[in-house]
Order: sequence, then C-alpha cells, then structure tokens
Amino acid sequence: MKPIVKNGIGVFYPQGFLDGNSCNSFLSMDDLAATSSLKVDMILVSLKKVVFFNKNGLNSFIKLFVKVRQTNHATVGFCDYDTKKYNAIMVFYKDDMNFSLFKTLDIAYLFSSSFKNQSKNILLYSEDKSQRTAMAIELHDNGHNPVITLTQEEFREKASKEDAYDEIIDATFLGQMGQKIATRVTGNAIIYSISSFLDAEIGNKFNIEYHNNSLNVGFRLFIFDAYKVISMNVHALNFFSRLSTSAAEYNATICFVGMTFEKTPEVFKENLEDSGIMFFEQMDDILQDKDLLKELGASSASNVKSKRIINKKTVTELPRFIDATVATIEMMTNSKAVKQSAKVQNISIDDKTDRIASSIGYYGDMDGMVILVFPKQIAKKACELLIGEETDDIEMILDTLAELVNIVGGKIKTLLSDERISVDITLPRTYQDVDGLLEVIENKKGVQVDLSFDNDKFLFFLTR
Amino acid sequence: MITKTLINEYINKIPPTPKVLKETIALLDAGELTKAAKIAQEDLALARYLKELVNKPIYGFTNEVHDVSQIFAILGVSSSQQTVYNYMTTLLSPSKWVLFKLNARVFHELQAKLSKRWEQILDHLNIEDKNISNSITLLPASIIISEALFCKKIDDVNLLRSTKNLDYNTILTRLCGIGLFDICEQISVKWEMPQEIAQIIQASSGLKPSDDEKINSLGKWMHLLLFYELSQPIFIEVGLNDFVDFQVEYVGDIYEEFATLMEIS
Repeated sequence: MKPIVKNGIGVFYPQGFLDGNSCNSFLSMDDLAATSSLKVDMILVSLKKVVFFNKNGLNSFIKLFVKVRQTNHATVGFCDYDTKKYNAIMVFYKDDMNFSLFKTLDIAYLFSSSFKNQSKNILLYSEDKSQRTAMAIELHDNGHNPVITLTQEEFREKASKEDAYDEIIDATFLGQMGQKIATRVTGNAIIYSISSFLDAEIGNKFNIEYHNNSLNVGFRLFIFDAYKVISMNVHALNFFSRLSTSAAEYNATICFVGMTFEKTPEVFKENLEDSGIMFFEQMDDILQDKDLLKELGASSASNVKSKRIINKKTVTELPRFIDATVATIEMMTNSKAVKQSAKVQNISIDDKTDRIASSIGYYGDMDGMVILVFPKQIAKKACELLIGEETDDIEMILDTLAELVNIVGGKIKTLLSDERISVDITLPRTYQDVDGLLEVIENKKGVQVDLSFDNDKFLFFLTR
Repeated sequence: MITKTLINEYINKIPPTPKVLKETIALLDAGELTKAAKIAQEDLALARYLKELVNKPIYGFTNEVHDVSQIFAILGVSSSQQTVYNYMTTLLSPSKWVLFKLNARVFHELQAKLSKRWEQILDHLNIEDKNISNSITLLPASIIISEALFCKKIDDVNLLRSTKNLDYNTILTRLCGIGLFDICEQISVKWEMPQEIAQIIQASSGLKPSDDEKINSLGKWMHLLLFYELSQPIFIEVGLNDFVDFQVEYVGDIYEEFATLMEIS
C-alpha cells in the first residue's frame, strides 16, 4: 500500500479490519522505504474506513512512523476517526504516544506547511493544558489565529455558533511534532519560523522542496522569523549562505528578522550579509514598509530581473510535454484532446474573464514550468472524474485542478524518464484569475499550445 | 480511459452459461444430486475445480474428497449449486492477472472463504434459500471485471490513484456512468441467474441500498463480509483491500452482531 500525497501530507487509507494478522500485510519493505524517503511534512494513516482495530493492528503503522521519523523528521500519526476510536488509541498508547492524532485530515493540514490554509480562525479545545498550549503555538507558527477554550462547556458553547470559526479542533493530540520548519505565506512573502539552536540538522528540517517550488512559482521574498533562535553554528551558516546564493539566481531576497547575536559569533552576521542575506529587528520593519517590500521583490510575485529563456532541450522534448497533457485530459474526460496550434511567444490570453489556471514546475536534468489555463466551466468538466459531483465551489475546483496538473506532472516525469531524462516535479499551484498568473509569467517567452477536447478550448504554456 | 463501448464489448464477449453447467444447476435445483454429478463429471475442468475447492482447509474435511458425486453428497444441494456457480464465475477470470497480484489459487481461496462464511451468516440469520446462498458467488466477479477493464490502463490508473483516493468502482462510475456491480448484474442476467442474486449484489456495493428490507440487510452482511475477507493478509498483499470503497456507515447497525458471529475481539 502506498500513501496518497497532497499538499505535503502523505495519507494511507487502509480499509476494514486492522488486527495482528493483517497489520504487516499493508506495508511491504518497499512501501516502508518509499514512504520514508518521501519529502513530506506528515505521514498519516486514515482510520475513516476502518471498522475495527486493535493495538496489534496499529503496530505495523507505528513501526512505519518510527522509520519515517528516523529518516525525514516528518510528523506522523492517525487521522479521520470518531471519539470512540480516539479514546481507544489513547488507552492503547497512553504511556508511549510519540505520534499525533488529528480528528480530520483538514485539521492535520492546519499543522502543515501549505500555500493554502493560511490565517484561519480556529477554535481549540483539549483537556490537557500542555496540549492546548502546544497546539496553539504550532497553529500560530503556521500563520493561524487559534482561540483556546479552557473548559468543555466553553468549547461547546463557542463551537455551537455557526460560521464563527473556520475550523474547530478537539479530540486531537500532538505527539512528537515534525521538526520541519513552520511556514506561512503573507502576501507575496514566505515566512519560515526557526528556533532554538541551528546546526547541521537545519538541512533536514528545512523543506527545500517547498522553498524551490516557491521560487519556481514566483515568490521572491523569504523571511526567517528568528526571534526564538538562540544560536547557530557554522553548518547552519553554510546552509543559509548556500540558500541565499541559490535564491540569487531567481533574484530572490532572504531576510532574517529578530535574530540576536549574543550567543552567535558576530562574524557570522557579516558572512551572511556578504552572501546577500538582510537583517531586520522587527517583522513590521519589512511587512509595513511598502517601498521596501517593492524593493525586495514582494510587491508582486514576479519581478525577475534575469529572465531565463526557453532552450533547445525544452523545445526538443516539447512533444512529450504535450503528450502528457493530452493523455491526462483524455484519461480524465474520456474524450479526444486535440492540439490546435503551437507558437513560441509570450503568453497570450485573449479573454481573461472566468479563467482559472494551474502550474507545475519541474527540475533536474531539465527545468521549467507547465501552465494550463482553462475557462472555469471547462476546468470543471476536465476535473469531473476527480470531483465526482456538481459544484461551484471555487476552492474545490482549484484544488482539483491542482490534482489534475499534478497528474500531468507525473506523466511528464514518466515520459521524460523513458528518454533517460530525470526530473522531479514541484507542488502544483493554482490561480483563481489570470492576473495572478500573469504576475508570475508575464514577459516570459515560452511555447503556447492551444488545445481542445469536445470542442472545449484550453491553453497549454511551457516556459522556464 | 475506459468507455461505455469498451464495457459493452466486454459484456458481449462473456459467453452464456455452458450447457453442462446449465444442466448441472437445473438437476441440483431439482434435488437430483447423483444425476447432477454424472453431468458435472463430463466437464473435466469443473470436476477439477470442485475437487480443489472442497479440499481447501476452510471446508474442514479430514480426508481428501475425490469424486464429484461424493462432493455433491457431502455438500448438499444448496452448497453444491453454490460451488457450481463459483466455477461459472471463474470462467471469467484471466489466465494472467496484471492489475492485482492474484493467481487462480488465491482467487479460489477467496471464493471458498466467502462461500463458507456466507453459509455461516445465513445459518445465523436462519435463512434457507438457494438463491440467497448462491448470491455470494457473483461478488468476486467484481474483481475480475476490474482486472479486465483496468489492466491495460494500469499506469494511468496508478497515477490517478496516487493523486486521489479513488477506488475502481468510483472511477468506472464517474467515467461511464456504470459501476462494477452494475456489470455484475448484467452478467447475472446473461447467465440467467435468479433476479434476487443481482439485487443482493447491488445492495452489497454499499452504494445502492435496496428498498426491500431483507435484501438490504443481506447486502449489508455481504458488504461487511467482503471487507472482513479483504482485510486478510493474503488478499491485502495482492492489492484487493481497497479495490472498492468500504462504506462503514452502511454496516454500522449490523457490525456488533457480525463481530460476535466471527468472534472478532
């Protein structure tokens, strides 16, 4: 069994009965190894479709959790359960709860890094005072606004108010949380929260995939919230220097806020400044200064000075990118997708109304970005297989479009690997309107291909 | 990926019930065990299948049973008929499994386990009805249909399923408006099986509850039994645990009774 990865969380979905007989069969050695090497924030096991489990039944997943924590420090645990299952797990592992419990997958997302799920108002209750505090801190670090309730009565009363909160958390337990660095997005800046002693482990804790993805999709300002940092050693110094150098290729800026050098050599600051990192005392010194934000590249998501042009290698492999897109659309819609025209040009979208878009980057032997632009109704049609129901919920449509472009990315990866070209794909990003997309890719030359299925037109754009 | 045309082609290719099986079932229906055995022996593959199936540990025979007439005599009318229907279902199975890591032995094992436990359930529910007893035999056809329709699209299916938790029944229903259990129903019609069998199979999907209380209740038992078996190591390892969605809520009201019967603790 393999986990389904979405928004940085890998989830297993076992079904039926989990007991001592079945537990070891869900995960082969290959599954264990593959899961441990996933670059995700969390690995969870959904208990939604499990009707019975005992402690032996959960133990194979606990073994997986241990292995995952040893190799990639991700948060591990169970999700999607009712109160009865929650209480059972608490009884089974009361003295040894190293994993987390999230009542729903949506609650788990609140504790993970994601482009979405920011600034949610969250009602929070746990009988355990230390749990309440731990959850509130994690949520706050992830950019949310937690409201803590101290008693069950208070929780019930507040929870009964309709639409008062975006999310309500109870029957949730934070075990050893992932040591990944908390991430939040503010406008066009990405804020990473770092704390304590920074050493060589920073390389494991920092989600470089997410960071590269952010660069690829157009973010140009990265702020390290370093108020809680006590000190850093030379390994961490080297890590941040390298990060800054690689960010320079995208004309991106890295800043540190609130970092003191009482227990860190002052010369480290000079070294970091030499590599391009800027230091500020307060977060508001950056976020409230519009001129500075503009200067640092966070007034919009683009502002790339050194534009990278589409190269021969990309053009040579273009048919594979188009094939991947066409094959995916055909698979999802059961209709023939047709290429209509292809031109090397800046992206050109004649009618911008009611258009939504999704992009996915790839990097490795080749790098670049695939963008799909759909009229909203056509996107819904293309995503019918994944959505499965009539909806006008734009969040759901965008979410599904991201899944679709993720499948396109997976297909591209496979087709290129047939040609012995090795690439990895980034997380997909969606755009609710064309303007948001144009901020990222305007003035970038690429290959634009007009495609259609069932006479419904959509646009494919490949750029670097 | 998979179209209605492909499904129709698949159904059209399914042969009608072979003459020998038709006669065997009819004779068993009339209680003519000896005559039925004589006819069944004409089909060597059927005779071999019957022998292999009833000698599985779950049937609990201490000595190996060889002869078809002996098999029918031991099993009785209802179980004999059920076993012949099980054989009919295997006629649909591929020579080589691709989508699932199955083989004939493991598939027969699943058939045997489902059949024996279904008998246990019917005993518990005090139901003595040949059609209801036989209904379990069509359930594994849903696995064969998944294999047949998706095996050539295995890469696409894997890519799709790595992105979203979709079972084969949902994929098929969303693409073509027809699900695995609908196809099972069509097969039952083609094989001239009693209508009740198709109704129970549809209810056992957990997605189309029957208005008939009895059929619906049997559908619940069958749905839960399917996932009880698909939670066994041998079937998890071949990739069957999540081939269709388990509807936990659908079986909520019979779970405790089922757990007691199967001695789950």
